[in-house]
Amino acid sequence: MKGLLRLSSAIALAAMMATTAIPAFTAPARAATLSGGFDVGPGGFQGNFNPLAATGGFTWLSVYFEPLVTYDEKLEKVVGQLASSYEVSPDQTTYTFKLADAKWHDGKPFTAKDAKFTIELAKNAKTGSVLAARLNAVSSAEAKDDKTLVIKLSAPSASLMDALTKVMMLPEHALSQIPADQLAKNSWWSTAPIGTGPFKFSKYVTDQYVELAANTDYRGGKPALEKIINRYFANPAAAIAALRAGEIQFTYVDSNDLKAFNDNKDFRVIEGNSFVVNYLGFNHDSPIWKDIRVRQAVMYAINRDAIIQSLYGGAAKPANCAYIADQVVPAGIETYAYDPEKARQLLKEAGWDQINGDKPITLLTYYTTPLAANVMAAVQAMLAQVGINVTPRAVDTPTYNSIVLNPTPDIAQFQMVYAGLQNGPDPGSINVGLNEKQIPPAGPNVARVRMPVLTSALDAALSETDAAKRSARYQEVCKVMNKELPWGPLWVAKRYGVASAKLKDFIWTPAPGGGPYQAHPEKWAIAE
Amino acid sequence: MLQYSLRRLLIGAGMLFALSMLIFVMLRLTPGDPIDAYIDPNVPMSASDLAELRVTLGLDQPLPVQYVAWLRQALLGNLGYSIKRPDQPVLGLVLSRVGPTVLLMGSAIAIAIIAGIATGIVSAVRRNSIADLSLSVLAVTGISSPPFLSALVGLYLFSVYFNWMPSGGMLTPGQEFSVADLLHHLILPATLLAVAQTALIMRYMRASMLEVLNQDYVRTARAKGVFEFWVITKHALRNALLPVITLIGSTIGLAIGGAIFIESVFNWPGMGLLMVDAVEGRDYPVIMGSTLVIGACVVVVNLLTDLAYAVVDPRIKVG
Repeated sequence: MKGLLRLSSAIALAAMMATTAIPAFTAPARAATLSGGFDVGPGGFQGNFNPLAATGGFTWLSVYFEPLVTYDEKLEKVVGQLASSYEVSPDQTTYTFKLADAKWHDGKPFTAKDAKFTIELAKNAKTGSVLAARLNAVSSAEAKDDKTLVIKLSAPSASLMDALTKVMMLPEHALSQIPADQLAKNSWWSTAPIGTGPFKFSKYVTDQYVELAANTDYRGGKPALEKIINRYFANPAAAIAALRAGEIQFTYVDSNDLKAFNDNKDFRVIEGNSFVVNYLGFNHDSPIWKDIRVRQAVMYAINRDAIIQSLYGGAAKPANCAYIADQVVPAGIETYAYDPEKARQLLKEAGWDQINGDKPITLLTYYTTPLAANVMAAVQAMLAQVGINVTPRAVDTPTYNSIVLNPTPDIAQFQMVYAGLQNGPDPGSINVGLNEKQIPPAGPNVARVRMPVLTSALDAALSETDAAKRSARYQEVCKVMNKELPWGPLWVAKRYGVASAKLKDFIWTPAPGGGPYQAHPEKWAIAE
Repeated sequence: MLQYSLRRLLIGAGMLFALSMLIFVMLRLTPGDPIDAYIDPNVPMSASDLAELRVTLGLDQPLPVQYVAWLRQALLGNLGYSIKRPDQPVLGLVLSRVGPTVLLMGSAIAIAIIAGIATGIVSAVRRNSIADLSLSVLAVTGISSPPFLSALVGLYLFSVYFNWMPSGGMLTPGQEFSVADLLHHLILPATLLAVAQTALIMRYMRASMLEVLNQDYVRTARAKGVFEFWVITKHALRNALLPVITLIGSTIGLAIGGAIFIESVFNWPGMGLLMVDAVEGRDYPVIMGSTLVIGACVVVVNLLTDLAYAVVDPRIKVG
């Protein structure tokens, strides 16, 4: 017992010493270091550093890797990054890129051979590349000389440039020795990756943080910061706690959590379009949705404005097709304003009592946030008022995928889904969810939409390479969607980041998948 | 004792084998596989690419074949590669997490034992006093608050509101390693993890102590005029400790459960965080590997508890 007492007093003493030493650690980090939760939220890709496998995380990856082309800050047009300029042949099948004078972080020059090597890796599914299908149209990539890359297509593709913004250039001299099917397993990605960006990879502490150091030889000028740290958080709440405690200077924030930061002079709230349309997907394999009047009734029964005001705090815009951007939404489409009486009338005309009556309909979702739970409850209550009895069921993403992507799914498990699909910056990204050719297993058209008129409108828009005419084609898609209701489109929500007011010249855009876009990390700075 | 230990370890190995088989089958019964977790519903992957990925991951083989292949590799010490982060071998990933978890749980258990036993003794000796009553109220609160709740409240209070402690992580990013920095990050999660256990140990200690204090030999000791302090520490405590040691051993499982919450709230890079992450990603190899390691720890801890009995109470003979 004496020993026990001695031990406990020793521990108490140690604890006291540690507490008195605390002020030493709470001293602010060096001004030249920016810490952030760059991989928090829907645009993140935590703990995986392989850009070939990246379905998100470009905000962070593009701090040290660079693609040939990228979006501008407003996500409106594609501009050169490692390509200083590019030309497209009149038949739209040959793209010639002039490359910038850039250096890898190890000092070797970046050449067209590296670009050719990277495109071939990205096209090869054996590397675990998620870009392979999107680069299908590419028939060859050739290095004409050190600074000229020629990409040939088998057919014109309007979405090639969008796909290329996701292809981060990789050094041939560092990776060519590794067999393609072993590439994903190689530790290079998390130990010694080199890119051409303004910061160099310096340290990775597993699941804690990644540290990048300034690349003083960067062609765009010496970065203002000395270090950038990306901290990992298991959940957004932890990131917000760290932001409020001043441990990090930036993170993604859910609209529910904005209250603490609005009207707070220590923080700057950054708002932007999420480019994700939320919708109720009718499973077209289920006979209950065959009659268009039933689908229209669903639209009229849901008070979207009320949900947007009370649950999203106004931070969303109702969608009447997959888009809300002015240039792709034609004038005069049906707005499906809240009208429960009309909904009841339509259901009566369609004979809903015979079709389904009040038998429960499973509404499946992979959204597990409190906001989504509230949305589902509101939708359930509103539909119940007109006589449609839905039962929400929220599951994790793998479970969701295993149910809806199954080539022979159990209709009873998902007669309806509440989901989201990316609709920008390239409006072509909506194709996979609506084109008949994308029904699983071919693609993720989980609602099994089989509408020839919609499919041909989408195909026409996808093959339109003339930028001016493309918007008109997408307006046509929007018109068809609005009339035929393959889905019940709901809204496009805003997305938020919060940065410390001390950050200067910090550019963050809530782009789908985190971008990439012209973020200019070399200009980011932090005030004392 | 050696023979006994060996026999127990052998039984433990058999249990681990059964555990691995159980987990393997149960994982395959959960909906969704690593590929379902890997693909983003927004990014199309062709059916042939997906099929190829399944072959690469060995998911196209029949279950028994997959299991035997896994077991053969596991016996050679190769637990495969993480699917979510393919550049990380599972064994390395799991082993790198054992340290932080042992540190966190060890500190929590140490805090719980010391605080629990000390307050339990005070409560018993000062029975029905104000100190006893308030400690009892605290203990009931502690036992009944789930770890995720106390973790969130603690995080908000000490880190966001008072800003005394870091909100998460094990070390300050970008700084050189120092023990003080580590301790600073450790105090809050370890204390919060210890809350429920401290309360439980305290209740047990109090009850056990009260019982012992009523025994004849304690009365005899008092009658002999032994100093009260020695009565409690020398005569009563030793006997009162026995049931508490059993309890401490069996609460290790509780601590593992709590550690999973605490680690994900505080981003403590331990086994709990790893497992939550792996389950979300249906990362089969990582789930299998970490379950095995935790299972092995439980086997060893149980053995050590039994051995500790023999040390505390010479009447108990193992073997």
